[in-house]
Amino acid sequence: MKELAPLLLSLAVAAGASCLVLLLALPLAALFRKRRGLLWRLAEGLFMIPLVLPPTVTGYLLLALLGNHGPLGSLLLRLGIPVVFTRAAAVIASATVAFPLMYQSCRSALDSVDGRFARAAGSLGASPLRCFLLIELPLAATGILGGLVLAFARAFGEFGATLMLAGNIPGLTETLPLAVYSAVEAGEGGRARLLLGATVLVALALVALLSLAGAWPGLGRSRGRREV
Amino acid sequence: MLLVNIERRLPGLELRAAFMVGEGQTLVLWGDSGSGKTSILDCLSGLERPDRGEIGLGGETWFSSRRGIDLPARSRHVGYVFQDYALFPHLSALGNLAFALGAAGSRQEPAALLERFDLAHCARRRPAEMSGGERQRLAFARALATEPRLLLLDEPWSALDRSTKGDMHRQFLEWRALAPVTTILVTHDRAEAELFGHDFHEIREGELVL
Repeated sequence: MKELAPLLLSLAVAAGASCLVLLLALPLAALFRKRRGLLWRLAEGLFMIPLVLPPTVTGYLLLALLGNHGPLGSLLLRLGIPVVFTRAAAVIASATVAFPLMYQSCRSALDSVDGRFARAAGSLGASPLRCFLLIELPLAATGILGGLVLAFARAFGEFGATLMLAGNIPGLTETLPLAVYSAVEAGEGGRARLLLGATVLVALALVALLSLAGAWPGLGRSRGRREV
Repeated sequence: MLLVNIERRLPGLELRAAFMVGEGQTLVLWGDSGSGKTSILDCLSGLERPDRGEIGLGGETWFSSRRGIDLPARSRHVGYVFQDYALFPHLSALGNLAFALGAAGSRQEPAALLERFDLAHCARRRPAEMSGGERQRLAFARALATEPRLLLLDEPWSALDRSTKGDMHRQFLEWRALAPVTTILVTHDRAEAELFGHDFHEIREGELVL
């Protein structure tokens, strides 16, 4: 069981990171889709930066911000909250890298909801919040769910940024990708094979989830199908 | 009495409309697609905002650019039947009506409404699982759920086949006889216009032609 500790840690970190990015990305996507200005567009472009930066560079930037001498890290340290080389750091690193995928999924899922339904809700006197929660969100659920699986997968496989911010401390921050790397590096073939097998199983489960999300019964009927 | 005198600039169109509709009467708006009819309905429902002018119903001002009044859709109590119905596809018939009642803060029972519109057998069905006539009745039930003071009908029968259309026309005449409501009907169908209209206006390129 001890051999599989990195797998459990990775699953926990990826789950935490996915929840975190969902909570951040969904409200942001809901806010930004109504804005047309150039500044809003530029700000939205910034969200995509973790997608294009090499993960080690993202990790370095996070370290510069959250490190013990960084502007945010030193503040948190004074409050008694260490960040670097903790499990929280692993979650933050994975979440940062997974955020653009979640944001893009939420944005396009909400954009794909036919505007007629919001008009109908408005004509019935529904507030924008009520319309969002009861009409647009359920109709966008399939796309958001798909984004959640993608974000989880990206967070699960995170290597570079995690290594920079959380380190590779066995039993504490050694996630599965890091453990595979260490095992191969140290020539521990048996351990590497065990971890690889576990990874393949998780990957298959994620692929199954992703196709399941697309076929979710009753959701996502908004994609221009039927409904005369 | 509904009093309307509005102007609105749209892409490629200068909309200007001034008319009045008597209490409980039906005004037919007639005109080519893209002539601005739907935009007039949107201004009346509060979905769109005119650039200038006034809208008032029964002594209450809904919109006045001069006095800076713009009543939100919620306070206007307008029922709107859209051309494609725009029924919520993820909600059952019951859910669609419950949403309408909830949005308007009404305590009415959605089940009683279903009964009234002969939809009790569809309570748990979603729009995609209903027939054209049932969907149409649901669209009217949703628009009439909160007893609106103004009913806007945007080509509500255009998607139906001939025989269903006849049934729906008869049904609407019955509902209207039971509870007359001031109505604006947009249509391309001359027979329909003559059947329901007390008054007619034609719109050409955003301008009312009397």
